[in-house]
Amino acid sequence: MSVLIENLTRHVAGGKVVLDNVSLHVPDGAFVALVGPSGAGKTTLLRAIAGLDPASSGHVEIDGRAMEGLPPRERNVGFVFQNYALFRHLTVARNISFGLDVRPRASRPSRAEIDAKVAELLALIQLPDLGDAYPQRLSGGQRQRVALARALATGPRLLLLDEPFGALDPMVRRAVRTWLRDLHDQLGLTTILVTHDQEEALDVADRLVVMQDGRIVQDADGETLDATPATPFVMEFLGETLRFPGVVSDGLFIPADTHVAPFSTNVAEGATEALIRPHEVTLLTDASGGTVKRVGRRGPLERLAVSLGERSVEIERPVEAPPSDPVVLEIAQARLFQNGKPVVEGNHPWSDAPAVLADVVPEPV
Amino acid sequence: MTSSSPLTLTRRTLFGAAAACAALAAIGRGRKASAAQALLNVSYDPTRELYADINRAFAAQWASTHGGSALAVRTSNGGSGAQARSVLEGSPADVVTLGLAYDVDMLAAHGLLATNWQTRLPHNSTPFTSTIVFLTRKGNPKGIHGWADLVRDGVQVVTPNPKTSGGARWNYLAAWGWALRQPGGTEDTARAYLKSLFAHVPVLDAGARGATNSFVQRGLGDVLLAWEDEALLAARDLGPDKFDIVVPDLTILAEPPVALVDKNVDAHGTREAAQAYLEFLYTPEAQKIGAKHYFRPVDPTAAAESASIFPAVKTFDIASLGGWTAVQKKHFASSGVFDQIYSK
Amino acid sequence: MNALAPSSPDNARRSPAEIALIAAAYAIVGLMLVLPPVLVFTEALRSGLGAALASITDPDALSAIKLTLEMTVAAVAINTSFGVLAAWLLAKYRFPGRSVLVALIEIPISVSPVVAGLVWLLLFGTQGWWGEALNRVGITIAFATPGILLATLFVTFPFVTRTLLPLMEQQGRDAEEAATLLGASFWRILWGVTLPEARWALLSGGLLTTARAMGEFGAVSVVSGHIPGLTETMPLHIETLYNGYQSVAAFSMAALLAIMAMATVGMRSLFEARMRREEPRKAETAGGGA
Repeated sequence: MSVLIENLTRHVAGGKVVLDNVSLHVPDGAFVALVGPSGAGKTTLLRAIAGLDPASSGHVEIDGRAMEGLPPRERNVGFVFQNYALFRHLTVARNISFGLDVRPRASRPSRAEIDAKVAELLALIQLPDLGDAYPQRLSGGQRQRVALARALATGPRLLLLDEPFGALDPMVRRAVRTWLRDLHDQLGLTTILVTHDQEEALDVADRLVVMQDGRIVQDADGETLDATPATPFVMEFLGETLRFPGVVSDGLFIPADTHVAPFSTNVAEGATEALIRPHEVTLLTDASGGTVKRVGRRGPLERLAVSLGERSVEIERPVEAPPSDPVVLEIAQARLFQNGKPVVEGNHPWSDAPAVLADVVPEPV
Repeated sequence: MTSSSPLTLTRRTLFGAAAACAALAAIGRGRKASAAQALLNVSYDPTRELYADINRAFAAQWASTHGGSALAVRTSNGGSGAQARSVLEGSPADVVTLGLAYDVDMLAAHGLLATNWQTRLPHNSTPFTSTIVFLTRKGNPKGIHGWADLVRDGVQVVTPNPKTSGGARWNYLAAWGWALRQPGGTEDTARAYLKSLFAHVPVLDAGARGATNSFVQRGLGDVLLAWEDEALLAARDLGPDKFDIVVPDLTILAEPPVALVDKNVDAHGTREAAQAYLEFLYTPEAQKIGAKHYFRPVDPTAAAESASIFPAVKTFDIASLGGWTAVQKKHFASSGVFDQIYSK
Repeated sequence: MNALAPSSPDNARRSPAEIALIAAAYAIVGLMLVLPPVLVFTEALRSGLGAALASITDPDALSAIKLTLEMTVAAVAINTSFGVLAAWLLAKYRFPGRSVLVALIEIPISVSPVVAGLVWLLLFGTQGWWGEALNRVGITIAFATPGILLATLFVTFPFVTRTLLPLMEQQGRDAEEAATLLGASFWRILWGVTLPEARWALLSGGLLTTARAMGEFGAVSVVSGHIPGLTETMPLHIETLYNGYQSVAAFSMAALLAIMAMATVGMRSLFEARMRREEPRKAETAGGGA
């Protein structure tokens, strides 16, 4: 079940624009995550697909069928809410069968068929014995699974999830989202997941749609987003980022900080910012460098704080023998941005630099 | 544009609301106060016991003269003015038996009955008369013997509100008439007297029965200005050892009239029965019942027979004060004398 | 915890101030709440149980009881339906003038019941706006049962809405949105999702309406016409009996009314207790462990 959104815009009372000319294509079978900070418009977009909130202008198609004038109850999309929204006065089994129970008599399956479907779903969500329990008795993770089963009971092929794991604690979150991905693959669903947790999105989705202020900033898979982020915001949103302002001149990026090595690049000249992940930075020994100190350790990685004169930055690398200062940072893997826009030509790490630079450039550690 | 709220009201909601309104209207067609087999007598306050007996007697008589067909008479009681107003607003009275002619005239003025109503039955359409007397506690501890004593220091007088109660208007006019007839009595002295009198009144009930209750059951006040029938009922039946009747030297002749409400009896188809009911009030049987309940019969025979029940009184009547229309306008209309003297 | 005296938590003996307060509470409750019903029952039974029962089975008395019951049932049914819809509308939607509507709902509680009755008279009395016109079509409102029903409806209108509205506002729209996405129609959602969530509040509001409808005097008095056997509810009939010096009958009927009211209040307490027992389970928030 594919989803096509064209130029969707939504205003709210007070004139605020919560969706600004958003266009998105989700092909059949894809697992897409809508990510972004609070207020980015991700939930609004999801609800617009479901038909819960109207749009001011624009076009939504599900499976090639225009959704204008079609109320939510006729769209047959499965929706899972952040707070599960289970019916507290119904048992788990009746919650799950709700979508089937409310079908008009003509199209409703028999009681036996409904019960069989419920049993099947209970097995699928791995809660076969909790059919007669009430939601109050369940843990958060269990309730979320019931919410999912309820959404799937009517056999929708499009599944929309609005921050479904937000209220769960970390261990449970990881388990449930893995299981969700498996379910998606198993049932051949098209899934759109809203989350503000980029780690979760990267873990579970094929593609991330990064939103900010009601607009889609970038729409790509995790690797592409990492290698070529469309804006500094995208890069910062998806992971820890170190920023090095500087200037490009004569084919070299010259950082403003001391103790950071320049590197060659053929992008246009001018003020430029270099953004890089902490683990992409390497250390070079240099007599005129700054001090380095190990400040932490996370699994196989260690964190080192390097003093750059006026400020100090933390980098990561696999655990090695303690570093010896003084050191200088090598940031050739950085993505470059001018005026907030990415400028991407080949960056040449210092090792490829012409020999004329040899006296400028230090030896690697 | 995608659809709006997910929980749209269907046409069924509006249909349900319309159905409810229709149901309400249907109920309206149901119960009405009068059917062909029932009469409604809207009466003033002190007549509950009187009409309970009269209605029973009349029903028996009607059944015997109409081949056993049942005719129920229901009575509603309240302050005369308030009851008249409710008939005006639509209370489906077949007959009205109110405390004073003015209240019936008011209904005639609005077209509910013929303006010559008072000539259609004997004695100015008044089958029973009464008067205004005082009721005091046993032994008359405050020594109240006449109108002048009512305005002495420390005396609390109980009377209903002239705006709503017919009895209260008779009380007021009795006091007014007495004041006028005193040596040197003028409008000004009468006004002063009434102003002083109402200053001695702790509370104004809506109807005569309410005032009686306040005095008799709740023990309020030292003296009750009351219909004679109320006073006699209280003194003789309710509390023989508790109250004394005091008859002032001069008092007013009260003539509470009865009338057929033409508009309603024609609408209900009850003219014959209502007319029979009113005529029944003048029969010896009814006149005796009246006397039993301390209402003075107009029929000479019955009056003679029951003379011993009633104390002797010297009275003036409403005509000597100018008639009800003039009196109502002068005293009880907005900004009339009562409004001027009573400021609480 | 006791803020009056610095007694330790283990101290079983109460300070004099505590005792005084508790005694005062008992005295006030006793005087204001217990004494009146006791007096009513004493007076009703003054001539023995037989006389009391006989007075209640008098035709006019039975008519009054019947009318009170009819009016109460009708008022509860109608006001519950409209109250649910009104609460639902106000809780789930935002629209211009919404806060005005919420304030308007409070009016019947703050307005004197007599004024409420007079308004109906103004509308439906013969001298009023629509009375004559309706009479010609054969519809009688004032001084008949419909007028009494309207007066009762007016004074009991807010109770269901007031009880439901805060609850529904608190619940938010999630469950209803989930239900609509699963294909449920408006009525199915109202009946199967919204109301069950609010069932205790609904019952509570319904019982409040019942108690008020049974006991309403002022508004009904103005529109009723006080016709015993026809347009008298129990409270009105009690007044008639009292004015007719039938003290025992008046108090017997009052005792019956008191019993009915106490039964209603008792049921409400029962439901509230059950509601509170269920609350700890419902109070579990969305956060949770594995």
